[in-house]
Amino acid sequence: MMNTESVRADAADISTRPVLELHDVRKAFGGTKALNGVSLSIEPGEVHGLIGENGAGKSTLIKVLCGIVRPDEGAINLSGRAYAPTTPREAKANGLQVVHQEFNLLPYLSVAENIFIEHLPRNALGVVRLQEMHAGARAALDAIGLSDIDVCWPVERLGIAHRQLVEVARALMTESRILILDEPTATLTSRETERLFKIINELRSRGVSIIFVSHHLDEVFRICDRVTVLRNGETVFSRPIAETNQDELVRAMVGRKLQQQMASEMVSLARPEEALSLVNFRHPQSPHAQGISLQLHKGEILGIAGLVGSGRTELLRAIAAAEPPLSGALRLEGAPVSFRSPREAINAGIGFVTEDRKEEGLILNMPIAANVTLASLSDVSRAGILDRKAEIAVTERLGAELKLKYGGPGRNAATLSGGNQQKVVLAKWLARNPKVLLLDEPTRGVDVGAKAEIYALIRQFAERGLALLVVSSELPELMTLSDRILVMSQHRVVGELSRPEFSEERILQYAYQGEQQQARH
Amino acid sequence: MQALEKTQASDTADTRRLTGWSPKVLLRDAGIGLALLLLIVFFSVSTEHFLTPNNISNILTQITINLILAVGMTFVILIGGIDLSVGSMLAFCAVVGGTVLTIPDLSVFQAVALATLAAVGTGVVCGFLNGWISAFWGLPSFIVTLGMLNIARGAALQVTDARTIYSFPPSFNAFGSQMILGIPVVFLIALVLVAIAWFVLSKTVFGRLLYGIGNNEEAVRLAGHSLMFYKVAAFTIAGALVGIAAMVYMARLNIASPIIGIGFELNAIAAVIIGGTSLNGGRGTVIGTLLGACITGVLANGLILFGLSDFMRQMITGVVIILAVIIDKYRERLTGI
Repeated sequence: MMNTESVRADAADISTRPVLELHDVRKAFGGTKALNGVSLSIEPGEVHGLIGENGAGKSTLIKVLCGIVRPDEGAINLSGRAYAPTTPREAKANGLQVVHQEFNLLPYLSVAENIFIEHLPRNALGVVRLQEMHAGARAALDAIGLSDIDVCWPVERLGIAHRQLVEVARALMTESRILILDEPTATLTSRETERLFKIINELRSRGVSIIFVSHHLDEVFRICDRVTVLRNGETVFSRPIAETNQDELVRAMVGRKLQQQMASEMVSLARPEEALSLVNFRHPQSPHAQGISLQLHKGEILGIAGLVGSGRTELLRAIAAAEPPLSGALRLEGAPVSFRSPREAINAGIGFVTEDRKEEGLILNMPIAANVTLASLSDVSRAGILDRKAEIAVTERLGAELKLKYGGPGRNAATLSGGNQQKVVLAKWLARNPKVLLLDEPTRGVDVGAKAEIYALIRQFAERGLALLVVSSELPELMTLSDRILVMSQHRVVGELSRPEFSEERILQYAYQGEQQQARH
Repeated sequence: MQALEKTQASDTADTRRLTGWSPKVLLRDAGIGLALLLLIVFFSVSTEHFLTPNNISNILTQITINLILAVGMTFVILIGGIDLSVGSMLAFCAVVGGTVLTIPDLSVFQAVALATLAAVGTGVVCGFLNGWISAFWGLPSFIVTLGMLNIARGAALQVTDARTIYSFPPSFNAFGSQMILGIPVVFLIALVLVAIAWFVLSKTVFGRLLYGIGNNEEAVRLAGHSLMFYKVAAFTIAGALVGIAAMVYMARLNIASPIIGIGFELNAIAAVIIGGTSLNGGRGTVIGTLLGACITGVLANGLILFGLSDFMRQMITGVVIILAVIIDKYRERLTGI
């Protein structure tokens, strides 16, 4: 009796029960709470938008779902059963496929081999059955409308958009119940996006559930049935797309934040003298002939906002001549200059704190002092011979000034926490007394306490007359620091806000407007 | 008072660490030194003739060439490169130097000075080309120096018409087997080169940046340093040392042949690796290289005295190379040293 009842209950559930349910999932990395209570439910055959600012927890959530990261707390149910994958393979076996933002294709193998890489058809001797593989790959590509691609081509011959679609084809090879698309349109043109949307619609009608992660709200409104907003690792809300609008989503992503109040109390330290100016300045990948023009004054903190891929990092790299610019004029303290190498830029008084501290900013396995003096070795050496005492003195002086917490100048930079590592990078540039400091994501991977310290340091630099150009994806950070914010979109400046005008809504609106204008062209 | 002493002590500790003589680095080298010591003790106890003055100076003579080549190789490996051409370059430098050395009507001093200039110059040119070609076109040095391996060997054969050069000035030949206090002079030359290399690598801006490039090229570039200069310089230094090794070779064996030096590059790489330098670059010391060269030399000599065939010796040397890298891996994982 009990039995039949429960069976009946099961049968009734199948049509209405969500295919995937998350309840209060939490995950911390060290002290940072990446997921702080995410709840989510995905219905069969729906396209579910997942949005949030950078650092809201989208990537971690995807990693949890595909078995790369294990959550600390919380329950995940897949089709009513507890689901706790420990490897990506296990996730796939459960019918959950992910198309990652970064490509996972093998460039020198053929399209067919890439599609079948996880289970190459083979005979008893282990020899690959080419015909079967090619036929299968052909069918998989035709199914998503990629009939113009030869399955024998090596993947390196394909453009980025086609590679993305090949990834989708590969994900669909195994019967999947849930397909996660992580920023799938970031590299696609509008026509290719249309094609992808067609594929998504087809999959939806076949009953596949799709989680669609995107920065582009207009796309979310076009394709999604429901949308969930994450903020600081928490689910803010989850509702049908018809019951919400763009403004509400932006407000939900942003939330109310303390920093905003702090920001309005700050006084600009900008002086009238010009420190840096750009006229029609184009970085190597800039698609627009007019490039970027801006003016930066001494003592000013100029923030640059924009979505990922809007050309902010490329702009900084071109100013610092990490990749020399294509064209345009650059003036430093009024004098026209042009740099062909980082060396020339540095000698002229430009410092560049890169986005990727570990790959570009620090030599992790070398002493802190060696990192601090890396850009000013001539100051701590005589006739090419290093003066260790001078090196240690410089390190201790700057270490005290920046409140660096470290074991000793001879310890390796790798022994420091993220915030202190970033201070070492700042010290490296301060040791040169630069005129202009470019900062790309200055607090990435830095904990909350150290963030506040770094903000205070940046203000101090401005007080001394240093001109600062700050790129950040965290809008509260930009609004706290900046005297002025430029919004970039599609490699152009699309808006400028002075401090009284600062609001996350306005910045995002500029950023999204720029996108839409681009789409219409 | 006590506190003051304490801060002074920690100051010097930090100073030491920066010079490359960090306690950790020191411990690494000490570990390799200990292995060498154990080998020496083992062969002294188990064989009759190992610990005799004659045999010791024999070993020192035998490792000299490899040590000089390995010092140059250390520079190249520290920036994450490799130089496969040093064996062939040795032959090329030797035949060029040997040709100059046998020019008639020159005084011994003139002949030796010009020959040294010619041999070192040849090495510098080959090394410069290795470095410049790989840095300018962004090619792996493995491939470029593989090319140079063939070019230099072919050039050596072409220049001499495949003949061996001999009949050098008698005083030059005698110099090769001279001793001071039972230590071969040629080994002392190698030691001086080790000392200079140690100074350059641990005390100068140049050395600091070589380590920097081996660890994180992009960070060094973005800090305003020309990668091209340092990469080319490392290979050029390796080339110059090949030239010196070629002169030492001729003084020792009194010939210059276009077929000498086959496989020497691999022995030099082995010494560097056994000495604890990472093939990925950025980590290692020339003192380690000195110890590594000594270990291979002691092993070669001791195993033969021990009664093993040359074939067995070769096999055991191979095992030691692999063991050294495995031990290094564990040491790093277990102790962070």
